[in-house]
Amino acid sequence: MATTAEGFDIHQDHGHDAHDHADHKPGFFARWFMSTNHKDIGTMYLIFAIIAGIVGGAISGIMRVELQEPGIQYLQWWAEFMGGGSDLNTALHMWNVFITAHGLIMVFFMVMPAMIGGFGNWFVPLMIGAPDMAFPRMNNVSFWLTVAGFVSLLFSLFVPGGTGPGAGTGWTVYAPLSTSGSVGPAVDFAIFSLHLAGAGSILGATNFITTIFNMRAPGMTLHKMPLFVWSVLVTAFLLLLALPVLAAAITMLLTDRNFGTTFFNPAGGGDPVLYQHLFWFFGHPEVYIMILPGFGMISQIVATFSKKPVFGYLGMAYAMVAIGVVGFIVWAHHMYTVGLDVNTKMYFTAATMVIAVPTGVKIFSWIATMWGGSISFKSPMVWSMGFIFLFTVGGVTGVVLANGGIDDNLHDTYYVVAHFHYVLSMGAVFSMFAGFYYWFPKMSGRMHSELLSHLHFWTFFVGVNVIFFPQHFLGMQGMPRRYPDYAEAFHFWHQISSYGYYIMAGSMIFFFVNILYALMAGKKAEANPWGEGATTLEWTLPSPPPYHQFETLPVITDAHDYHDHRPATA
Amino acid sequence: MASAAPASEPLARSNLRVGALAFMGALAMLGLGYASVPLYRLFCQVTGFGGTTMVASESKAAAAAAAATGQKISIRFDATSAMGMPWTFEPSQATDTVTIGERDIATYVARNDSDHTITGVATFNVTPEQAGKYFNKVQCFCFTEQTLAPGQEVTMPVLYFVDPAMLEDPNMEGVEQITLSYTFHRAEAPQDAAPRSTN
Amino acid sequence: MGQRDTRMKNAFLAVIAAGLAAFMPLSAAAQDVAAPAATAADAGAVEGAQTAPGPEALPGNLTPAEAGAAPAGEGVYTPMAPTKGKGMPTSYQDDPVKSLTFQDQYSADGEYALWMHDVILLPVITAISLLVLGLLLYVVVRFNRRANPVASKTTHNTMIEVVWTILPVIILVIIAVPSITLLARQYETPPANAVTIKATGYQWYWGYTYPDHGEIEVVSNMLDEAAAAKSGEPHQLAVDNRMVVPAGVPLRIQTTASDVIHAFAVPSLWFKMDAVPGRLNEKMLTIKQPGVYYGQCSELCGARHGYMPIAIEALPPAEFAAWVKAQGGSMPGEAASEAAPAVRPAADAVAAPADAG
Repeated sequence: MATTAEGFDIHQDHGHDAHDHADHKPGFFARWFMSTNHKDIGTMYLIFAIIAGIVGGAISGIMRVELQEPGIQYLQWWAEFMGGGSDLNTALHMWNVFITAHGLIMVFFMVMPAMIGGFGNWFVPLMIGAPDMAFPRMNNVSFWLTVAGFVSLLFSLFVPGGTGPGAGTGWTVYAPLSTSGSVGPAVDFAIFSLHLAGAGSILGATNFITTIFNMRAPGMTLHKMPLFVWSVLVTAFLLLLALPVLAAAITMLLTDRNFGTTFFNPAGGGDPVLYQHLFWFFGHPEVYIMILPGFGMISQIVATFSKKPVFGYLGMAYAMVAIGVVGFIVWAHHMYTVGLDVNTKMYFTAATMVIAVPTGVKIFSWIATMWGGSISFKSPMVWSMGFIFLFTVGGVTGVVLANGGIDDNLHDTYYVVAHFHYVLSMGAVFSMFAGFYYWFPKMSGRMHSELLSHLHFWTFFVGVNVIFFPQHFLGMQGMPRRYPDYAEAFHFWHQISSYGYYIMAGSMIFFFVNILYALMAGKKAEANPWGEGATTLEWTLPSPPPYHQFETLPVITDAHDYHDHRPATA
Repeated sequence: MASAAPASEPLARSNLRVGALAFMGALAMLGLGYASVPLYRLFCQVTGFGGTTMVASESKAAAAAAAATGQKISIRFDATSAMGMPWTFEPSQATDTVTIGERDIATYVARNDSDHTITGVATFNVTPEQAGKYFNKVQCFCFTEQTLAPGQEVTMPVLYFVDPAMLEDPNMEGVEQITLSYTFHRAEAPQDAAPRSTN
Repeated sequence: MGQRDTRMKNAFLAVIAAGLAAFMPLSAAAQDVAAPAATAADAGAVEGAQTAPGPEALPGNLTPAEAGAAPAGEGVYTPMAPTKGKGMPTSYQDDPVKSLTFQDQYSADGEYALWMHDVILLPVITAISLLVLGLLLYVVVRFNRRANPVASKTTHNTMIEVVWTILPVIILVIIAVPSITLLARQYETPPANAVTIKATGYQWYWGYTYPDHGEIEVVSNMLDEAAAAKSGEPHQLAVDNRMVVPAGVPLRIQTTASDVIHAFAVPSLWFKMDAVPGRLNEKMLTIKQPGVYYGQCSELCGARHGYMPIAIEALPPAEFAAWVKAQGGSMPGEAASEAAPAVRPAADAVAAPADAG
């Protein structure tokens, strides 16, 4: 077959002089505060996501501790701590503040920055053989907008928000609770935080779309792109089309709150239900935004450790496109009880169930990729297998909830909480840990401890299942979401769920110890620590890659079908 | 800045083009977000989505009356005062049985229980929702704002008919009663504006 | 429009419900409560709107003579004691198995939905999850590095790809059939003479009005822990004034809200409907048997979102009529009795529920 890309291999052919030039890094401030390097920005996103994850995870700890027993235990203390009164209403308001902050932080400041900002920034250019993102400066702006958004959200916790400090509207910020129902600037800051994070994400999406369309290495056709790049491409389109609708909706909320407009206020001819339509028109694609990059990572990892190309590549790629497209026409299944007519509800029931088909294609294709493989169970692989199983469990409860008639009972109960934590807290988060362990050696140049990552996996797996599986029971028994207190009958399973949290929280110790160990004492990572199954371009570069990579673009030839992206000479 | 040196001039330009296109896509969606407000209202008004009632002209009312077959339907009248609206607001009668197609009149009574003049505006819908596109109002107090002086009580009429086309709609099969619901809100106009008397 | 048929059907249902009640300990109270003869006659006709039905509509165990004994007014209505495990969640300690699944259902739609979940959805989703788990375990055992040192290079198999696309489609179609049926049933519209109750959500309590029964207004606040214990009801679910309805006859439940969005939800009746300010929602509900059914607000509505429970007390129609009388209301078709005082207790929980009348 044709041989191309002579002189591509940086670390062999002209390793030395290229290295000096490629590794020339700016000074500390310029490098980290005015960064235009996709890898540095990716690293900052990952560190930011970890910090946000600690905050969001700590808040869920506050909630699980409170819910371990019926009655109000600690909320009054928190209300005073946050600068509110010590009366019961303020305490109960604090609860709403915590659920709101937990949701917003996890969605906008943990999962999205890690998936898209972190792994996307790091590996999309590497995987398509590009020297950097298309708009490196805009990339930097995206990151700092996200940070500013987080600061704005944290700030909102300490200013008045109605019954107490902070925004207690739920992450959905439904009007009129978020307008006439919440006086004080907290909700304004929370909304502004979404504006900032949303603007950052829209810029980021533009950047990814341009990078993927324009900057692929010669010969890297769309149908040869690694599936992770496909997943980020679809995600970027979802961001680009969904986030502006959220921006419009929350801007209208803001003007309803502050400038007397009545977009969602019935007294002025508005309709609060319209806000829900707009929110979920964004909100449903948003859940795919959170999981699609995970799908992409799992595809890479499963193929790598099975030493097999991905099964049904085209089906996998277009399943993601299908999920993205259908994701835009199912939003009202979040609003089944709001008062929809029967035909609307039947349509959304049917459309929602359709999503199970491409999702099923992906699950079975992953298993088929393993089938016949020679699998080594390295840490990324066990996290991926955990993902496949737990995402399936979360997916099938989604099929239950898709039925509008069944949802009449389960809507806004813990069943829904269990469902979306199975697909996000286990789906998205498991894929993030899988991706983290997969690429950590590449990013840091150090090997992490396989033992600690396996321990992390098993304890985390047990922990999250103990937290969330009993929540199905609670939901079916009728326990509503967003409740700080409950009837005695719900006590047992709430208690179990809280115990699960402690296991999960303890498990995170392994994660942090592992990172510290790797950075301080980890053995040096080779360019490709995962062996012959790792075929994408990032493994052709040293670990960590030089500050500037692919100064001579790699060339992908016909000799490589879409399963193998290594340049012919490498 | 990345150093994609040699071919960077055309690449930079095509990057700008793709990036600008993508950004315009985002702007278009932003516009669509705002446009959804009037579009949604229009959609509801045309299709009766969410139980939105129709506004009928005299000629349409006449056509409906001509198509009347004498079948009856029960209409329920519901009234709510929103939070912060110190009005007593009630239908004159809870239910009425009317001939489908024929124009009928119902009245609501509102009384301002506060000691200052208040302007109110009514929102409305019908249940079941699929009845919205068959419930036609020829005249309604909800078309305009209502201002009541302290203690003032008014009787407000609704002139309506039920479109006989509902008899052909399978979605309306078995519907024996339509509820017409109004909620009076305090109009968003400044409270201290000069009192205008409309009734 | 089949009104006559519906009316007969409803009268029939009323008889059944009343008959059913005769076998329940609850109906012991019914005998004492009783209602004036006129009311009792109308009680059978809750659904009968204008025309009083024949005596066959009267509950079998309640003759007009007996019913005439008690005067309307204070004390005739005693709140029904809830039955453990009925209309409320079950704790793990009381019944580990029941605590894992849905509450028992007391409406026809609820029974159908529960059947659909238990017989179709749950087996299907369990099977799919176990299938995926089984395949993963098989792959782990069969295709690990030691068991299978050389990986195959298979990347396509059109047949199997078609199968795993078509098969889920078939499964979804199978699910869709009962799902659509369920929706159609849930959206059946109430007959013109259904008993209408309007539930209004407030921050943070519920108000219930009965537009066809005079000026009855029930304001329903959560009982505090001590009061709930005193009345033998579950804390967080018990309220001072319940939404009292007749059992066995169609109810037209309408919801709206005064301030922010609330949701009226009762798990044991498979019923949930948002209460949106500025609009009215409506749904039919038929409760199969007398009892107390608890629910909770299910749309985040501010600080005390978790503190505005719902308690429905379904009574045999005759007892419902007596309750209406006790509240100073009137049954449809009967001249309105004395104007009822609107019940609006302070936000603090009140132990004695029957404070209206």
